[in-house]
Amino acid sequence: MTDGDYDYLIKLLALGDSGVGKTTFLYRYTDNKFNPKFITTVGIDFREKRVMYTAANPNGTTAGKTFKVHLQLWDTAGQERFRSLTTAFFRDAMGFLLMFDLTSQQSFLNVRNWMSQLQANAYCENPDIVLVGNKADLADQREVQEKQAKELADKYGIPYFETSAATGAEVDKAVITLLDLVMKRMEQCVDKPPAEPANGNGATKLDAAPPNEKKCAC
Amino acid sequence: MIKDSHFKMDLSLLQAMERERVLEVLRRDKQLRTIEEDRIKRMRYELQDLRRKGAKSFARQYGERTCARCQRPLGKFWNSGAVCCGCSHRICRKCRVGLGATAWKCTVCHAYRDVKIRSGEWFMEEKAKKFPATADKYETVGEKLLKTYNVLSHIAVVPPTPPPHLDYQFLSRSGDLKSSKPFAKSMENLMLSLTSHIKKISTSQNDVREDLLRVENSRRGSCFTFTTQKSLSDTDINKSSNLFKGPSLPNLFKRSKDSDHEGYSTGAEEETSFGSEYSGGNRGSISSISTDCGLFEGVTVAGELQLALAYNTKSSCLEITVGACRNLINGDHKRNKCHPYVKLYVLPEKSSKMKTTVKKNTTDPVYNEVLQYYIEHHLLVGKRLQASVWHSGTLKRKVFLGEVLVPLDGLGFKNKASQCFNWYPLCPKTESPEGGTMEQDGEVVRPKFSSINQGELLQLSSLKYLQERETRLSVRHII
Repeated sequence: MTDGDYDYLIKLLALGDSGVGKTTFLYRYTDNKFNPKFITTVGIDFREKRVMYTAANPNGTTAGKTFKVHLQLWDTAGQERFRSLTTAFFRDAMGFLLMFDLTSQQSFLNVRNWMSQLQANAYCENPDIVLVGNKADLADQREVQEKQAKELADKYGIPYFETSAATGAEVDKAVITLLDLVMKRMEQCVDKPPAEPANGNGATKLDAAPPNEKKCAC
Repeated sequence: MIKDSHFKMDLSLLQAMERERVLEVLRRDKQLRTIEEDRIKRMRYELQDLRRKGAKSFARQYGERTCARCQRPLGKFWNSGAVCCGCSHRICRKCRVGLGATAWKCTVCHAYRDVKIRSGEWFMEEKAKKFPATADKYETVGEKLLKTYNVLSHIAVVPPTPPPHLDYQFLSRSGDLKSSKPFAKSMENLMLSLTSHIKKISTSQNDVREDLLRVENSRRGSCFTFTTQKSLSDTDINKSSNLFKGPSLPNLFKRSKDSDHEGYSTGAEEETSFGSEYSGGNRGSISSISTDCGLFEGVTVAGELQLALAYNTKSSCLEITVGACRNLINGDHKRNKCHPYVKLYVLPEKSSKMKTTVKKNTTDPVYNEVLQYYIEHHLLVGKRLQASVWHSGTLKRKVFLGEVLVPLDGLGFKNKASQCFNWYPLCPKTESPEGGTMEQDGEVVRPKFSSINQGELLQLSSLKYLQERETRLSVRHII
């Protein structure tokens, strides 16, 4: 499957509490299969998938060119004891699937912690993230309401999806949305003139920070 | 504030089985990265090609009003072209790529932008902004981790690095300078200073180029009023040097950064650098391109290499007989072709490159070539012979087909086994530090063994280069 015949290598990473279904989610996405058995991930792992991506043309309504994208989807262990290892891998990912379990209030509460982990360890302070509430099929065990989760996602300004790795609902959509965000980010990063840092994108706070940091480090 | 402090994770906390599992994942990741690196290399090669086509040829005067890309003449009022915001060149209407409603870039600047996105360079740059403390921005966490573990497990195998002066002993021995002692001595000293200078020169090539540019600019200024353009191109150089850092494979690309400098940015720079590049002959830039194209596509390595090693005490040289190879994989998958040759290094020396001839259209080449390496017998301790098989493709593209590492310690009088032909199975690229740096080092000035004339030629050409550089610098002073 892996040869160099693709246009982009995009690295995404799934994170969240242990048992929220990161591995099954990715398994569903890459292989379209579901494994109900709980096998805890040892440290890190990754899966790959080749997808076609059609870029929306910025200056027209017609769809732009189609690209071959090779996705490297990093799967991280949710368990605390692997934490130092997994967070170290955050910095090499271009986008994040922050997952929680809709049937576990605690996993939802921990989203906040994961967000701060991301801020500290990801490649920049406002990386592209998609919030994913998994196990949507278990309606009778549901502990987190959609409204609640939506509010939190809005607070962070990130998209929110309720997925089910068991049925496959919304799984593709969540990943594709994230891919879309990353692809847009790439264009922005390259096109923004390097001389003018305050270029109208929402990250004014960010733009001010790096120069200071650099001075400290030197 | 955000430093590597949290990068203290290691795998020591994990159980042995868990560790093996993680390392397995990292190895898989490494495979993917290798493919990615090859892809990026190919992409950059194409970009370089495009730039080269766009470069003003030196038959044409720069002052002439032509499009910097297609070289078509531009009119004074009609079809007068416009300045590209990326490279500050005057570009005709046909060589522009629209970005938005009004924004555009010239074809080369657009291709450059495209490569930056597709190679993931944008990501590296963003990451480097947040983690400036990280020594190598191209290195991923997985790579780092894998490396530390590889080093740990290899530590017993890696021989100690011998003191650097050994290198020059070989040099003087390889030449026929023995005849006159004082001459040999002075040559030895010269070589010493030369080799130490070469490194500096190759790193300071950019400076030289900037100097050249100024020379060129002032020369041009006399026939063409150019003050504004000059400042533009000067800033552009700075910009391009900031922007243009190689993509993820850290080591292999160090050289290509240099060559990128000359390929990209202003026409004046292109002009001068290409001129000197061609006249300079055996220089870093050329060789870096050719080594850059040495693709490690051989993730799958197959076949065997037949070698015989012997130490000749009379002439005090190591005689390596390359017999043959068998069952190699095709270097050129598409055309099902293979033109293999064998390259030898005596590790950890980097100065010891030896090559066989290239055999055409065969995966079972027969060489039967004896390559000699002058070395005192006792110095063989701790050294290893690296024999790698390469496919010599079109346009100097090289494809790695596999390699063999043979320890040279016990070689000599007693070891009869290695003196007759042995078949060694080819292995994928090893990750030993020496092996890694071998390819990127280019062939700047590297005395070859077994052929004395060649060695002398190389010394001469490097001398010539030094002289050239000096004259250029002095030209600048005069102006």
